[in-house]
Amino acid sequence: MIRIAAVGDVHVDKDVVGRYRPALEQLPDRADALLVAGDLTRHGTPEEAKCFAKEFGGLAVPVVVVLGNHDHQTDQQEQVTEVLTDAGITVLECSATVLEIRGHRLGIAGAKGFGGGFAGACASNFGEREMKDFVGTTEAISARLGETLRSVRCDALVALTHYAPVPETLVGEPLEIYPFLGCYQLGNAIDSAPTALALHGHAHHGSERGRTPGGVPVRNVAHPVIKQAYNVYQLLTDSVDSELVPV
Amino acid sequence: MTHQIDLEAEIQRLLTEHERIAEQGITVHRRENVVVLGGEVESVERRDEICRQITGHFPEIEITCDIGITRAQAPSEVEEIS
Repeated sequence: MIRIAAVGDVHVDKDVVGRYRPALEQLPDRADALLVAGDLTRHGTPEEAKCFAKEFGGLAVPVVVVLGNHDHQTDQQEQVTEVLTDAGITVLECSATVLEIRGHRLGIAGAKGFGGGFAGACASNFGEREMKDFVGTTEAISARLGETLRSVRCDALVALTHYAPVPETLVGEPLEIYPFLGCYQLGNAIDSAPTALALHGHAHHGSERGRTPGGVPVRNVAHPVIKQAYNVYQLLTDSVDSELVPV
Repeated sequence: MTHQIDLEAEIQRLLTEHERIAEQGITVHRRENVVVLGGEVESVERRDEICRQITGHFPEIEITCDIGITRAQAPSEVEEIS
């Protein structure tokens, strides 16, 4: 059994430091690792990243994150990544990590992802240079995420993105902004590997549960959606021995 | 005078692009002569700053703030994925 805690869109700055910590300190009793699905900060400054590292770093479980669009706002994503890495936090961008947990190998492949929309209402790689750049970015990130997912050797594989891979977890958001919230290519990438669970954020008004066309469970863990410090998901179930109650 | 739909768009962009706000998850709805703000943010300071900035930029608009602060307690349940 592996238990994963997950949250996204925590948007940490000075005013948030201390809010999550009491719940995070309880993590070792509840989960084996914490995954954060992007938008760690408000503007993506190194100062805000230090606030995130102070709040989410130094925990007794591994912390694995991807960046979100907010973390790119000031074009300092490399410095943000450096601050987080120095704090012992693993930052994924079209890359993967494998955690050894009680004899199991938990593989996590992560990427920020990008927009583009979903079947029947998606952008195409056609027309103006700007539109081709937009969709080209979608395609490139999704292709690299797929390659990364397929390269991981593990017992349970999790895909971690900021943008959504399916429209089901966007229900509640205005239809008009779906193309800015995710893309079907991420779902295809997730389906190209034996993925056990896909986690994303970004859609504050979306829904928690969905599945890819290939049947992979998808969970939107944006903080305003889950309405608690983190959710806990159990993989490779063989027994229930925690104080948490299965639902 | 700002048209209703333009006003909502301008408020939405202010909430996202203002360096002291940077919120993309705030809803803006018109109720007769009142603009109702909804959604959740991470702190009381952020909610108050949103109301302060909108009032400052659009002094002729009456604002009702229904913005909540997202709870951050530990969970009591786990979901089995199958």
